[in-house]
Parts: sequence; structure tokens; C-alpha cells
Amino acid sequence: MDAPLLQLRKVEKTFPNGTVALRGVDFDAYAGRVHGLLGANGAGKSTLINILSGAAPASRGTIVWRGREVAFKTPAEANAAGIATIHQHIPLAPTLSVLENIFLGRSGMWRHNPGERIRFEALCRDVGYAIDPDVLVADLPIGKRQMVAIMQALGGGADLIVMDEPTASLANEEREIVYQAVRRLAAQGKGIVFVSHFLDEVVALTDQVTVLRDGREAMRAKTKDVDERAIAEAIVGKAVATLDHLREDRAVVTGPELLIVRNLASGDKLRPVSLQVRRGEIVGLAGLLGAGRSELLLAVFGADRHATGEVMLDGEPLPRSTAGAVRADVALVPEDRKTQGLIPGFEIWRNITLPHLDDTAFGRLLTRRETEWARGAAAIEKLRIKAPSPETVVDELSGGNAQKVTVAKWLFGAVKLLLLDEPTAGIDVGAKADILALTRRLAESGVGVIIVSSEFEELLAVCDRILVMRDGAIVAERAASATSEHELVLLAGGRGARGERAAHPIH
Amino acid sequence: MTTKDWRRYFGLREAGVYYALLLLMAIIGLVTASSSGANYFSAANLTNILYQASLVGMMGVAMTVILITGNFDLSVASVAALSGAVLISLAGALGFWPAAAVAMLIAIGVGLLNGAIVQLLGINAFIVTLGTLTAIRGLVLIVTNSRSLMIEDPAVKAQMVAFEGGRAPIQAALFVIGGLLVAGAAYARFRQKKDKTATPWGAAIGGVALIGLGLLGGPSLSVAKPVVYTAVYTLVVWFVLGFTTIGRRVYAVGGNSEAARLSGVNVGLYKMAAFVLCSGTAGFAGILFASRLGAINPTALQGAELTVIAAAILGGTSLFGGAGSVVKTLVGALLLFALANGFNILDLGANYQGLIEGTVVVAAAAIYTVGGARRRRA
Repeated sequence: MDAPLLQLRKVEKTFPNGTVALRGVDFDAYAGRVHGLLGANGAGKSTLINILSGAAPASRGTIVWRGREVAFKTPAEANAAGIATIHQHIPLAPTLSVLENIFLGRSGMWRHNPGERIRFEALCRDVGYAIDPDVLVADLPIGKRQMVAIMQALGGGADLIVMDEPTASLANEEREIVYQAVRRLAAQGKGIVFVSHFLDEVVALTDQVTVLRDGREAMRAKTKDVDERAIAEAIVGKAVATLDHLREDRAVVTGPELLIVRNLASGDKLRPVSLQVRRGEIVGLAGLLGAGRSELLLAVFGADRHATGEVMLDGEPLPRSTAGAVRADVALVPEDRKTQGLIPGFEIWRNITLPHLDDTAFGRLLTRRETEWARGAAAIEKLRIKAPSPETVVDELSGGNAQKVTVAKWLFGAVKLLLLDEPTAGIDVGAKADILALTRRLAESGVGVIIVSSEFEELLAVCDRILVMRDGAIVAERAASATSEHELVLLAGGRGARGERAAHPIH
Repeated sequence: MTTKDWRRYFGLREAGVYYALLLLMAIIGLVTASSSGANYFSAANLTNILYQASLVGMMGVAMTVILITGNFDLSVASVAALSGAVLISLAGALGFWPAAAVAMLIAIGVGLLNGAIVQLLGINAFIVTLGTLTAIRGLVLIVTNSRSLMIEDPAVKAQMVAFEGGRAPIQAALFVIGGLLVAGAAYARFRQKKDKTATPWGAAIGGVALIGLGLLGGPSLSVAKPVVYTAVYTLVVWFVLGFTTIGRRVYAVGGNSEAARLSGVNVGLYKMAAFVLCSGTAGFAGILFASRLGAINPTALQGAELTVIAAAILGGTSLFGGAGSVVKTLVGALLLFALANGFNILDLGANYQGLIEGTVVVAAAAIYTVGGARRRRA
């Protein structure tokens, strides 16, 4: 067997604040192979990636790259050596074009050079993906940005490509594009480290799999020797409870209508949409990225100033402002926790009490630390947030724990209608199950829920009814018990929708 | 209390501006004592520094609030000058109080205009207020017809003197405020277990310092009225920012306005209110400025907005929103005026003053940026 491209031996990482992220990890990456790297939130994946990419030094241990011991001090050094990293939060310059972003790291004096376009086309062929090079990145949906980031990493001619959850925010068909790109690159002899929470794609895509748990290696195996269940057990550390237990036989929800939406529309992102939600009902919104799901939630929540149409909650028209919506006991967990969900620099407790701050204060005006702190502590316990205390600043939390804070914000006030936008994106199996079980409990207590998710399996497990959206409109409605993941994929992707139209001929 | 807490409260980043002020005053005091024998630390001189810093300090407090909300207001000095010009030109006909009311209304109107353009049209506050800075200064020239205006009516003049001039004894006030701060800190320490709060050492030390000043100054210690106005105003804003739901939301709006909006905070209202507060404060400062002289010059306060912003930056206010403390801004203003005062006393001439002041501001910004972790709180 040939020598590995990259070898990590007993790598440890301790942060200045005393947190131990890695406790001696071995890791090998070979050319032409796809290496899956998995672990729960806080298991040390991101730290390991930062060490690989030169963004953070290891505290102890050795890194051998092509047979020579190295210690990258900056991402640029790692890059020059041939390691490209695609981070989870895509660092592209939104005001530059696709072409300019892809060749951002290149040297040379001129902003444009003719060779670029030829190299760009070659790159498109390598990856098997076509995109307009002159579009501004700001105008691209997140899925396409991900592909631009991948091409940017390849533009430098890397030999080892580290992908940190490249598919976390993508819809199914966009994921397939990433998979194809990964397979092509591996076939061309590149080494790939593929970090993911999706067990199915790891099993389907990778040659080797490494699972981290609490900063240690919990599993290292050839992918063909293990199955999803074994990997999941290694991640969680015990036999996992799958989502299936949530999917028991549920009676049809017959409570009174809670939310009635009539002809809610906004620009060309959201065509007139009508729907109802009953008390205690969980309605899922399935669809691909850009299908208008988030837009619909924001419009219901009053966050879209240009929306037209009627939104009634308990028979009363819902005010067209977020403040009005919160006063009317509507809650929204937005899609992007970083830009929409959390206040950076605020501690967990300050973030959690923000929506219903008045309830915690004397005379709605004087803040009461004791009450607020207690809510923070209760949230940590209730949602099993991994943080030393409510005093922890949210910037220091890992993705899944930060997501739990954005959910916990709404658990301490009256909520009649809960709008969840991708509440489980990019978080580990355990956290996912926690959040979904919580959603179920809230529904049982009479809360109406609309949940958007790109993981249809999740919708099937938790919802009573599923609406499929495509191109800003609702194209199908199914009882969760009467549909399957396969059907939802077809409906969202368009084929099933065409079938539906055929079933109800126009004439 | 752990080392981490000590560093948090007394590190350069958190308390640097206090050290800088003390260090600067010590240096100037030593140099004056050894060179001229003049007493820099005389009550007369120190209260004079307070008086000189009061208007900039007051505007700096409002500037801090608008910076916390993530906006910016360059027009404050122009608005203050306009307010002063309106007061002087109308006071003869209307009387002092009605003219002051009109001046305040106009200032608040400018704040509404600034806020409306920024919030409704979505233009960057820096650009909008750069425009109003120039336009309002033009308006001052129109109102004054490019000449200095003066108050002729002795009755009005007397009202102005009564409002701005004169001194107020402060020993009792120092004892009361200092006592309240110490008592508050002690109460917080007593409730520490329940509230999970860190002991507010800053308030305790500040309270002790105020009581100490009261003892040292004796019953005859007095300050000019604008100092009292600024002190009261700062106390009120400090309290609102630190202890009320309004203050919490101000920080939230600046920290991440989209997240605040999706949490049900009326972000537009808060940002608008900060503009109004800023212009309104500038209007009040303008009234004090014009009353001080009984006259207004069309170039009055030109460039003062930069001193105001410098005070806020010295106090550690973030230009990106979400962080800032009004008390530290006030100390920043004191630092700038103590420096100017020192130059006067040492008779070093104004030539070096700008150079030194600029260096101090950049050095402070460097400390805040380089020094330690980013903590965005008061």
C-alpha cells in the first residue's frame, strides 16, 4: 500500500480557556480515497479541521504531510502545501463575481486575466458542474455558493481537500452534485476528508470512516465493513434511538383551526399561498432549497414588509410586524442561527430571555437577573445544552448547542404557533432527536407547529401533515402517514408534481 | 473571585481608560508642580476641567447610545450650533424658555430626519449624517446671516445666566450618589448566590471615589451647572442601559439587528429613537453653549463632533454596534479635556496638542482591538 498523504499522530488540542477539544487523535488520509469524519457536536471535528487547515496549531502531537513533519502556522501555508479546506460557513466575497471568487487566492497584478476563463471551464469539467462565471456571489442561493466554494478550493490545485459538512445546507439534488464532484475528484487521485452528519451519505460516498467522540477516536474502519447503525453507535457511544420512535400511530388532529393563511404572497419568491394549521398539529413544509419555504415562514411571522394576503391566528388578523407576532404568541426559529438567531457577545441567558424579556422584568421595565439566569439554567438542563453555565457567551458554543439556544428562546413564554425553519440543520443525531421530541411534546400541549426541513425523513417522523412547496407555491399535500420519503422527493423535485397535474386534468 | 474575573474587570481593555486618565493627570500634576509650582490638583482647576468637558461629555453619552445601536451621527456639532443660533435669534422676541423650546424641537426634528432617511431609505448613517453635518452648518449660516449674534435684552441674558451660569454645591450629592453605588454593589454581593452575578467592583470603587472626593473637597466644593446636567443625564442613561429592558434591547439591536427583529424587538423604533436622542442632546448642549456666551458665532463648535466621537472611542465603544459604556465615554471626554487643560497650564502651546490627542485616540483604539477577548457589554 502506498504511503499516506497526511498522517496525524496523537494530536491534542487544549484551548487557552482550559477546554480540551482533542485528546490524542490519529488520522491518515490517502490519495484517491474519500475519508469520512464524523462525530457529535463538540466531539472535536471542527478543531481537527482547523488543525489540518492551518487555522489553529495543535497543542501536542505530530502532523506528517507527504512524509515530512510539518506545523502549519497559517491557512495560507497549508494551502500552499496542497491542503484546501472548505469551511462550513462559506467564506466568499459576496460583492465579487463567481470567477473572481474562485481565483481569489491567485497571485498576479491584474484583476482579470484571459487564462482564468479557460481554467474556469476546465474546472467546471473536473467538477462536473456548470455555473455562470459572471454572476455576483451575493445573488446566488446557498447551494450554488457551496459549489463555488468547492471550486475555489480546487482552483488552487490542492491534493487534499477537507470538506466541513459541505451538504449540511443543501437540498437533495444539490447534494447529488456535490457527491458527483467528490467522486470525480477522488478518481483523479485527490485525497478527500468529508465531514458530515448524514450517515447515509457517508456510507455511500466514503472509503474509510473515522468517528470522533469527546476528542478521541471512537471508530476507524473501512466503510464497507460497517453500517449506519454501527457508525451511529460510535457517535453517540451507546445504542442509538432512531427517529422511528417518534413515529407512532397518531390520531388525526381535530383541534380547532389555529392559523388560517389566505393568499399570502411576496414578490416572485412566494406566490399566493393558503394553508391552515390546527391546535396541536405539526405541519411540515417539504421542498428544495429556494422553493419559498423560509419566505413563507417569514411572511407569516410578519417579518416580510412586502407580503400581501391574510394571516389569521385564532380568528384575529395577525399584525404585520415581528413585534406584533411575538405579542400574539407566535415564535420563529430562523434558518440561520448565526445571522438571524443569536446576538453575539450576549450570554446564553441574555439570548434566551430576549423574546419575552418583559415577562421577566419588574413592571416590564427593570430587568431581574435572578429570573433571567434561572431561565438560562433551565434551558441548559431541558435541552441538554453543552455549556458550563448560562454565563457562557453564545459565540463560544458549537453549532448544535447554539441551535438549541435559538430554540430555547421560545420555551419560556406563551407560544401558540411555533415556526421552525430547518431546526436540525448541521447538528448531530442526539441533538436532533432532542429538538424533534421537544417539538412533539409542544404539539401535544396544544401548540400549532409549522416545520421546514430538507430532511424529509425527519418530517415524516414528526409531522401530522406535510405540504410540498416548489417555486414559491404549495404543490401537494399529504398526511404524513400516507406518504413516503420517496414520494416527497419526487413531489419536491417536480416529477411527482407533474403526475399530480396529470391526475387532475385541466379540461 | 478568580484571576479571570480580575482580568475582566481590571484589565487594560475593560478599565484602560481610567488608568489612562489617572496616569495622565499624575504626569501633568508632577510636571506642573516641579516646573511652575502651580497646583494642577486644585479644586478650581479640576472643576474647571469638568466644566470644559461637560458639553462634549453630554453629547458623547448620546453618541455612545447611537453607536451601540449600530448607527453613527456626525451631525451633532452642527445641530448644537443650529440650536444655539435659533435660541439667540429668537430669545429676544419670544423670551428664553419659548426660544429654547423651539431650538429643542428643531434639533429633535433633525434627529427624526436623520433617522427617517437612514431607516426608511436604508442609506448608511455615516453618509446621511455627513450630509446633514454640512447642510445644517449651512442652515446656521443662513439663520445667523454669517455674523455673530448677540443677546441684547438684559432680562433674557439674566435667564441664560441663571440656567447655565452659577455653581452648585455638590458635597451632599457626591455622598448620596457614592453611597447609593456602594450600597448597590454591596446588595449585589449579598445577592450573589441568587442572582449569579459577579460583584460590581466598578460601581463600588466609583462610589468610594465619589465619597472620597466629597470628603476631600469639603462643603465648599461646587461645580458649574452644565457639569450637574451632564452628570444627571449620564446617570439616567447609564441606569437605563444597564438595568432596564430598554437598555437590553438597545444592545441587542446593535449586536445583531436581524436576530433582534426576529425576536420581536421593534428595531426600527430603537434605531430611530437613538437618532432623536443624539440630536436632542446636541440641541440641549447647543442651548447651554449659547447661554454661556449670550452669543453665537456661525462657526461655533465646528469640528466638535470629532471630539465627541473620539471620547466615545476612548471609552471603548465599538463602531460596529453592540458594545459601549456611557460612563467610560465620559471618562474619555475628561481625558481629552484634561490633556488640553494640561497643555494650557504648562504653556506648551496648541501646536503639539492635536498631535498628542490624535496619538492618544489611536493608542486607545489599538488597546481595545489588540487587547484580549472581545467582550461586548457595558
